[in-house]
Amino acid sequence: MIRILDISNHALFWYYLASNVAYLIMLIIALKTSATHQRRLESHRLNWIKDSPLAPPIAIIAPAHNEESSIRVAVRNLLDLDYPELEVIVVNDGSKDRTLEELREGFRLRQVRAVYVPEVKSALVRGLYRSDVDTRLVVVDKEPGGSKADAVNAGLNAVNSPYVCVVDADSVLERDALLRIMIPIMADPQRVVAVGGIIRVLNGSEIQCGTLRRVRLPPKSIEVIQVIEYLRAFLIGREAWAQGNMLTIISGAFGLFRTDLVRAVGGYRSRAIGEDFDLVARLHRHLLEKGADYQIRFVPDPMCWTEVPSDIKSLGRQRARWQKGLLDVLWPNRDMLFRPRYGRIGSFAFPYLWLFELFAPVVEILGIATIIVAACLGVLSREFALQFLLFGYAFATVISIGSVLQEEITYKRYNDWPDVVRLVSYCFLEHFPYRQLHMIWRLQGLWQYLRGDHVWRPLKRKGLESAQAR
Amino acid sequence: MESIFEKLWRLGPAAFVLKAIVAAILADALLLVFILLRRTYRKRFFAKRDRRVFELRQKWDALISGDIPYETWRKKSFDRRIVETIALDAFEAAGSEESARLLRFLRDSGLIEKRIFEARQLTGWRRMRALVALGRTRAPEGIPALAEALRDRDLEVRLAALRGLGRIACPEAGQEILTWLGESALSVPALPLQSALIQCCAERPQMLTSYVQHAEGPVRELLGRVLGEVATPSMGLDLLQFMGDEREELRAAAARAMSHAGSGLAFDVLNELARDPVWFVRLRAIVGLGGLCEPRAIPALMGGLVDSNRLVRLRAAEALVQLQAQMAQIFAQVVQTRDRYGLHAYLTALENADLREKLGRELQTSTEITEEQRGRLEKVLELGGLWPEDSAKTGNLPDKVALLP
Repeated sequence: MIRILDISNHALFWYYLASNVAYLIMLIIALKTSATHQRRLESHRLNWIKDSPLAPPIAIIAPAHNEESSIRVAVRNLLDLDYPELEVIVVNDGSKDRTLEELREGFRLRQVRAVYVPEVKSALVRGLYRSDVDTRLVVVDKEPGGSKADAVNAGLNAVNSPYVCVVDADSVLERDALLRIMIPIMADPQRVVAVGGIIRVLNGSEIQCGTLRRVRLPPKSIEVIQVIEYLRAFLIGREAWAQGNMLTIISGAFGLFRTDLVRAVGGYRSRAIGEDFDLVARLHRHLLEKGADYQIRFVPDPMCWTEVPSDIKSLGRQRARWQKGLLDVLWPNRDMLFRPRYGRIGSFAFPYLWLFELFAPVVEILGIATIIVAACLGVLSREFALQFLLFGYAFATVISIGSVLQEEITYKRYNDWPDVVRLVSYCFLEHFPYRQLHMIWRLQGLWQYLRGDHVWRPLKRKGLESAQAR
Repeated sequence: MESIFEKLWRLGPAAFVLKAIVAAILADALLLVFILLRRTYRKRFFAKRDRRVFELRQKWDALISGDIPYETWRKKSFDRRIVETIALDAFEAAGSEESARLLRFLRDSGLIEKRIFEARQLTGWRRMRALVALGRTRAPEGIPALAEALRDRDLEVRLAALRGLGRIACPEAGQEILTWLGESALSVPALPLQSALIQCCAERPQMLTSYVQHAEGPVRELLGRVLGEVATPSMGLDLLQFMGDEREELRAAAARAMSHAGSGLAFDVLNELARDPVWFVRLRAIVGLGGLCEPRAIPALMGGLVDSNRLVRLRAAEALVQLQAQMAQIFAQVVQTRDRYGLHAYLTALENADLREKLGRELQTSTEITEEQRGRLEKVLELGGLWPEDSAKTGNLPDKVALLP
């Protein structure tokens, strides 16, 4: 028994060490990449792209479900984005409120009997509308499909542009976000097939007429911790993975894809729990199987601001869903693991996700259990356990502060001193009890999935109007 | 000598963790100190800069007219950067008179000369910055320095030079790009290159023709695309040679270019290219034919309407809808094709242009169609589909296309 505990504790030690070293490497890569990106941007005057006759057209798909209070502002915001060739496709996903009426009144929609080719499966489309106020706006009215993926698929069938950008209707895009996200594509349109943008936390910021006026840190602790998590995930994780062309997630709230490829893989999987992750995984598979020379890039500066859960219950549900989504994608793609055909994705990215993302809560709970048992049996070196705990704490803090530093030296959106002080303080405070709670939510997610609960459930959000009111 | 891994292994977890704790705490402290110092420095720097920007703006007219001697600010790099930024920002938004005044100032003050020097002597990011600034000045004297940078080993520098030359947007800059392209083939991504060439060759597109003739492979395709963008009506005859080119990109470019040429010559060429085996060549030709707005193009556009490619059908339909003088006859011909896909494309274009009601009225008043035809056409317009017997031709096709609602 003691031997088993000893092995377990050693395994745990090396597991954490490997995980932390991986994060440290990512932090170093991300810092270097961001600096290079910033310098590269100096030669890209965004208005030159805006004036270019060669800027490829983009279709924005914004699914909307019961968004009557914010839909007008959100759509106006999308139409006001700086980009020369734009079409905006709003998908009314069976809203039971006045979403469609609001759009009809706000943009003088008229129903058109248009050709609709259902190349990608979705729930029944009831009608297509075109705006008389702004001809770039098309509204697809459809039966509720029960998922965002289904709504996006319906929008995808109405797209005429070579690139499609999927956004959440209740997110706020910065005005030049599309120009910035197109930079990698404009530089190498043959190889770059998709680009992910950064998602930032909207809670607490000031919005006026759908436009972000002032970036502030949210008031609640739970929201500030999510700010740090988002900075860590995007500015360190995704930046580093994308550098090695191993990006496996492009957030559903803001991502750009080549339309033909999304259609070629059958669009979004309607029943996927993490539809964004699922799509990117299928794109990798499709392109690797074809032996294509391609890149999926991440651009850290185009900003999409989105609302995050502001209460424990919603956050728990979201995190459980993310964990379910992870398993929902990794399991069907397990055949990609360690197969040379799938290159770096099969050799590094997916094994990392299995080991350090999917199994992490299980390892963590096992670790805690073995430490408790070892303590009860009196075989635990208290000194070592304490040191190990302290090391874990200090190291995790380095990574969190590193992500804040990354934000500071590159994009610096939190300008007020009190905000930065709070942000840094939470880098020290997030580890207890939030991290443990997070582990429980993730375990719940795994358990729900294994029990057969594969249903996609939308989260309750306050919406843009609440941010405006602040 | 022991390797680092051997040393780590011998340390054992306990000793290793102790050292790691110290390292991590040290790292935390360093990061925090760095953030703190950086913020403090930047706060002071921006406050100082804003103050100075305000001061310099107050005496801007005196500055650019030379009443304040250039030497007073040019030798201070802090001031020089501010003045240059203000001047270049103003230059991008200025009208012709103001541009000339600003350009004179940039020349007389030595700012352009300084940037040319930097573009030639510096390396890496600093060279790149100088190249971008040089492009923003749009001064022709910057072209040689930018052309030199096109031969740099660093791709980012080459791209910056290309963007700079594109910004200068004059035939001389275009000539430099074309000469470099002849020497080194395609060593930058196509899109920025195309963009720069379009800007530079718009004034004198004829300069491209000889290069297209002698270029090969992807460069030929790229130059063809540029030609397609910038061609003018006067180039009609020059473009004819490309309509039979073996490269489809070039044929497509010829189709696109011909849409700018005089309609007499363009019509026959586009008519021919509208039957090309490659869909995007047909697409360009159909778009070109649509641009002519001529009834003579109707048969070719009808061919486009029943094309196997969706985009060709949609563009043909849009072009047909634009011929508003003959809406009823065109609609009769569309129905006669008995092609469900074509009809749906036409109706979509009609709806998008908000002309459905107009067609309804035309059908009622048209004298070109018989009473029997009138009733039938009105029914088709109302139902948005063909009669079952009419749609026999496409009846076997999978019901993939739906007309909404």
